[in-house]
Amino acid sequence: MKIIICGAGQVGWQIARHLSGEQNDVTVVDNNPDLVRQATDTLDVQGIAGHASYPDVLDRAGAQDADMVIAATHSDEVNMVTCQVAHSVFAVPRKIARLRAQSYLDAIYSDLYRRDHMPIDVVISPEKEVAEAALRRLSAPSAFDNQTFLDGRVRLLGIAIDEDCPVVNTPLKQLTDLFSTLRSIVVGVRRGGVLFAPEPGDQLFVGDDIYIVCHRDDTERALDIFGKPFKRQERMVIVGGGNVGLAVAQKLESASQRVRTKMIEKNRRCAERAADGLERTIVLNGDGMSRELLTEAGIQKADSVLCVTDDDKTNLLAAVRAKQAGCGMSICLVNDPTLQSLMKPLGIDAFINPRATTVSSILRHIRHGRVRGVYSIGDAEAEVIEAQVLSTSPISGQLVREIDFPEGALVGAVEKNGKVIRPKGTTRIEEGDIIVIFALAADVPAVERLFQVSIDFF
Amino acid sequence: MQRILMRLPFLLILQGLGAVAMFLPAIHAYQLRYLHTARSFFYSGMVFLILFLLLAVALGTRGREGTVRGQLLGLTGALVLLPLMLAVPFREAIGDAHLLNSWFEMVSSLTTTGASLYTDRALPTTLHLWRAMVGWMGGLLFWVSALAVLAPLNLGGFEVISTDVTSAGRAALRDRRAGLPGERLRRYALRLAPIYVGLTAILWLALVVVGESATTGAILAMSTLSTSGIVPNTWEGGGFASEILIFAFLFFAVSRLTFRSDAITRERGHLTGDPEIRLAVTLLIILPGFLFLRHFLGSIESEGQDSFAGALRALWGALFTTLSFLTTTGFESSYFDQARYWSGLETTGLTLVGLSLIGGGVATTAGGVKLLRIYALYTHGAREMGRLIHPSSVGSSGPGGRRLRREGAFVAWIFFMLFVITIAATMALLGLFGLSFEASTILTIAALSNTGPLASVAGEGPISYAELGAAARVVLGAVMVLGRLETLALIALFNRDFWRG
Repeated sequence: MKIIICGAGQVGWQIARHLSGEQNDVTVVDNNPDLVRQATDTLDVQGIAGHASYPDVLDRAGAQDADMVIAATHSDEVNMVTCQVAHSVFAVPRKIARLRAQSYLDAIYSDLYRRDHMPIDVVISPEKEVAEAALRRLSAPSAFDNQTFLDGRVRLLGIAIDEDCPVVNTPLKQLTDLFSTLRSIVVGVRRGGVLFAPEPGDQLFVGDDIYIVCHRDDTERALDIFGKPFKRQERMVIVGGGNVGLAVAQKLESASQRVRTKMIEKNRRCAERAADGLERTIVLNGDGMSRELLTEAGIQKADSVLCVTDDDKTNLLAAVRAKQAGCGMSICLVNDPTLQSLMKPLGIDAFINPRATTVSSILRHIRHGRVRGVYSIGDAEAEVIEAQVLSTSPISGQLVREIDFPEGALVGAVEKNGKVIRPKGTTRIEEGDIIVIFALAADVPAVERLFQVSIDFF
Repeated sequence: MQRILMRLPFLLILQGLGAVAMFLPAIHAYQLRYLHTARSFFYSGMVFLILFLLLAVALGTRGREGTVRGQLLGLTGALVLLPLMLAVPFREAIGDAHLLNSWFEMVSSLTTTGASLYTDRALPTTLHLWRAMVGWMGGLLFWVSALAVLAPLNLGGFEVISTDVTSAGRAALRDRRAGLPGERLRRYALRLAPIYVGLTAILWLALVVVGESATTGAILAMSTLSTSGIVPNTWEGGGFASEILIFAFLFFAVSRLTFRSDAITRERGHLTGDPEIRLAVTLLIILPGFLFLRHFLGSIESEGQDSFAGALRALWGALFTTLSFLTTTGFESSYFDQARYWSGLETTGLTLVGLSLIGGGVATTAGGVKLLRIYALYTHGAREMGRLIHPSSVGSSGPGGRRLRREGAFVAWIFFMLFVITIAATMALLGLFGLSFEASTILTIAALSNTGPLASVAGEGPISYAELGAAARVVLGAVMVLGRLETLALIALFNRDFWRG
């Protein structure tokens, strides 16, 4: 697949890395020659220096025979024009644009992105997606990772196993028998930094990080079984009032259960903007790391703190400080994936990785077959894929135990005729079913092949 | 002809208008066969018209367009000097009055105060019509000049929102500052006068339809629109229908947005979002509610006074009187007294004093501190309370609201202090002339907020202007001018740069 990525910033870089790692023909366009040079040096990509929306630059980047354009520059307008040019001049079939401004994202204007208006197939907005991730995280506060599939009916939860967990040292096979009505399955275990898909005979140990796929209605019960009692959030402190913090606070304000939210923002302008956009939330202006300000925000009584400034270190330190001052739980936005290993020593309960969320939503549009959702776990170590089974795919009509799944892949949930069921060895996969499947990065191509349709489909 | 008129000084044009206006009462009095009164007005009108023509011929060739300074001076001069001219026919018609009395009467009319020395004497209705007309013209003068003269100088309430530096605000400012001062005055006069005249005519017609006589209807319509509160002293209070009509038209003194969308506020047609209207509505709900509740509790104790209908009448009386005093008009509803009979409690006049102090909207005919300033002070105060709890919190009201709360509240506070100092000084002066503390308080506030009728309602018993000494009348007349023009405008006149520029 030939892909042009415009903008070699944070998001563009991550997408390029991801896609080039999957044997795609990737070209990076950026008007900063140094960035382009860095990209061509470190990643397996080609680079063009130039203004992304100029037709001649796109032409040089090979837009004539490109399959997809991903416009992820810093400017919304450049992204829009890039997609327009790619459509009108080069007839590129698929166009993805990153748009940040809230006004462009409003649902009432979504008509704008129709083919004959502004031909953007997919609009991605990192801030919005991070905000959604943060909210998901808050809805299951004790899980360190959280993602929804099948229109929100299935959840992927990351749980850290500690001494309180009642089911340690028990083979997973027995758990299935013990809680037969629980629609939940352990799909991944990280032990000693290595992620693997567990076998039925494997046991869980204290110190493991596990990923479970579970039905929405069983979330609380599942968390309870793994030693994480559910507690409702009543008081919250948000550190950082940028787009992410503002979006989270607005969602919390409109939630049916009232959450008392306070926000701390260092930049006066940002703070004023946030205050104008919010009604009940109290916005404080000052440094989120200062003890006085955290005290003013009532950190002692807060159930959780959400650190979403644009600086990783500030987020980490503010979270630690809040935790120390008596806050129940801390959630952190961390851009640098290498910092994730610091979470446990620092006592931070959960983290949000904006790249994982953004990259996931872009990957969804690159996969073959009927892939509906992709979530990238950890530092791109594994993926959870939601896909529909087509009539000519090799797994259609087979029992789960008969399918030749690779070593690192595990089926988490199956939707049959609108009902979500827990897969067993005897479950027959049929045409039209939707499968949620966990796969280690190395096995993703093999899993993809299972969903691919054979040539006679066309 | 028109070009010559354009060149005349502002004050002279006003004098000419005043002279022309005298012919109307002359015709009215002639129709009613008050021949002496008719002659007084006709001759005065002729004399002053000739004077105007002579002065116009003398000054018309000077070829100087007016300046902003000239207009502000003209406005001040109009309030101080014009009453002297307007008083001439009045004095002639009464015959025995001292010129000071007539001057006071006319100052009080022109500043839309409506305080009268002749509440006990039966005057020809023509004289009441004249008073109402003067008040009406004064109202129009301030309607127009608030936007044409005071707004470009950031005075008259516009100082609170003047710190608007958004592009829309700048555009509005350009529009207000566009052209020469004389040109601007003409533009606003042409734009506003038809609305003012039209509204008055509609109210007049409506009042006549519901049963007022033509003259009384005209007087009421004019004193409603100009918030002067002048009524013929034979008038015993209108029926419920007239009160409803007057109530509706009093809203034009609550906010300037009710009669035009000036280019100052960005969003058109958002009457419900306007702080002045919201504040006025809040007051209209709370105060009558409070008065009603007080009487309601009183009526329980004194038991069996009246029924549900009596309660409703009392509520309406409180509602009407609240709006009337808030707009510094000073009509008292004929149902207001019923509230007292109903419960057997006296109505607290102090509430009405407070309402008059608050006053109506910016750039309307109303006086007082003005709702916008009160709102700025309120938001500032509320914000400070919030800061007591969260010292580093950030207020949420948009950039406009934030500016109103900081710079706006600052100038509003300055104005309020000047207002209060004026009250204190005037009270001291009146005390010096032998008035009691209560009387001097009420009279000062009545004069400064241009709510003349306050004197007869607020106190224990009514205070009569006729019993005041000459010195007290002069002081009160001066305070009325001060209240109408606002202290800040006078201070601006003494600014050095203002004279140099």
